[in-house]
Amino acid sequence: MFKHYFEVYKKFVETCFTQASSFRLSFALLIIMDLFFYFSALASVTFIFDYVPAIGPWSKDKFLFFVSFMLAVNHLHMTIVSENFWELSLLIRTGQMDFVLLKPIHSLFTSFFRHFRPASMLNGIAAWTLLIYYGIKLDLAALSWVLLPSMILTAFALNVVIEMIVAVSMFWIVEGLGINFLRMQFQQLSRWPDFIYGNITRRVLTIAMPILLIGSGPVRFLLDWKDYQLLLGMIVALVVFFKILLWVWDLGLKKYDSASS
Amino acid sequence: MRANLSKWWHTIKIAWSNQTAYRLNFFLQVIGPALVFFFIKYNLWSAIFAGDRAQVIQGYNFSEMINYHVWALIVGLLGQGHTAMNLSEDIRMGRISTYLIYPFDFWEFHSASFIAFQLLQTIICLFSIAALYFLGIVEFHGYLPFFQGFFYTIYVSVFWFSLQFLTGILAFWLEETWILRVLLMLITAFFSGAIIPLDFFPPLLVKFLYFTPFPYLTYYPIKVFLGSFTDLLTPYFTLSIWTVVIIWLNSLLWKKGMKLYTAAGM
Repeated sequence: MFKHYFEVYKKFVETCFTQASSFRLSFALLIIMDLFFYFSALASVTFIFDYVPAIGPWSKDKFLFFVSFMLAVNHLHMTIVSENFWELSLLIRTGQMDFVLLKPIHSLFTSFFRHFRPASMLNGIAAWTLLIYYGIKLDLAALSWVLLPSMILTAFALNVVIEMIVAVSMFWIVEGLGINFLRMQFQQLSRWPDFIYGNITRRVLTIAMPILLIGSGPVRFLLDWKDYQLLLGMIVALVVFFKILLWVWDLGLKKYDSASS
Repeated sequence: MRANLSKWWHTIKIAWSNQTAYRLNFFLQVIGPALVFFFIKYNLWSAIFAGDRAQVIQGYNFSEMINYHVWALIVGLLGQGHTAMNLSEDIRMGRISTYLIYPFDFWEFHSASFIAFQLLQTIICLFSIAALYFLGIVEFHGYLPFFQGFFYTIYVSVFWFSLQFLTGILAFWLEETWILRVLLMLITAFFSGAIIPLDFFPPLLVKFLYFTPFPYLTYYPIKVFLGSFTDLLTPYFTLSIWTVVIIWLNSLLWKKGMKLYTAAGM
């Protein structure tokens, strides 16, 4: 089964590369857009740290390591899934979801992994260079370096699963554009460490909608192995929210009434 | 003249209805992001000032910093809320053919929609200011700075609309204009002082930025609302020059774009 899905995904990626090579200006602009986003995220924090010695318990380098960790997660998100969320509202509204449901492959897979962004993929070099640079500055332990890729993948997985659950609400709403903006607001909130938020907000965004676990869980652990509680929470949240996703996706499909038929 | 005004009035009414038809969508798309942006900044600065809210960082104590960001929220909603999403879709989907045969131009239709949007945003902003004032989050700095700031922000919105129009009509050449629109928003949010005040930027960069329109889009209107800046001539003059240049570019690109237009989907 895994091989079958891999072969299908390879085809998806190939067609996206062909498509991207036809629109070269959009391709270049997408790279510039992502790079400017990286620059503004890091520069904002750097400019603040020119005037303050620490924010919460973290120094400038720890904070910048966190930001670059989130940029690496964002890079995967932009490359692998981002475009699919925008397409989903179109699939549902226009009835094109019919064709997704007819395919002999799980509809979740086709809905959220059909579109791949080759332009964003190239920015991985910048995202990983920044992450490695700030990791070296912090003198990360060897084990932390070994665990870093798996931490990013797990953080990315939790991020995507939560956003997919939010996106499923498009089945109940006529205009799904607003849901995508809501999803992006969750991303914005998760891009800052948990300790900047007040008690109530932190609890809500760690337990009910665990978006703060995406960055704070793994980064806190990578910086100090004794600080593993949030990382455990992230793994538990990933399993629980994946189950919820499968359940709400089925509910959404039952609600879907094919606009074209 | 009277018939033309009637067309404008009816288009504004239709645009108003369209924007208020999907209220949840409007809230999530326009108001929600601005509120979340403010919420994050409030929490971030609370963490930075934790323990000593009276300390002064680069000219701001905690209360002044929050006031800055409340006015940034208002300026963002009123001055930079509008997007050219529908405009570029009209071009890409071949819907502008309709405007070519109607006695109401493409730019007139979208300008009327923009006016409806601004009316809605003005009401939202007035309610937001009142709510934040009664909650004790924002300070009122007198009627003169308020009205000066309000009218200047409306002027900013005219510049912003012309810039959005420019990115929209690039749909004649670009397959996807959203990238340009997002890039423009990212650049503006950062260089205009919407994320952090320009006082925190390196002085050399700030000097350079004053040659661009960015400081006049967020930082300057906030300072006018706060009553700190009273020189209104420079920002009005600078923005006017940039607006004229962009309107000229819009007109040029529209003429060139029309030669390429193939009425896709017709």
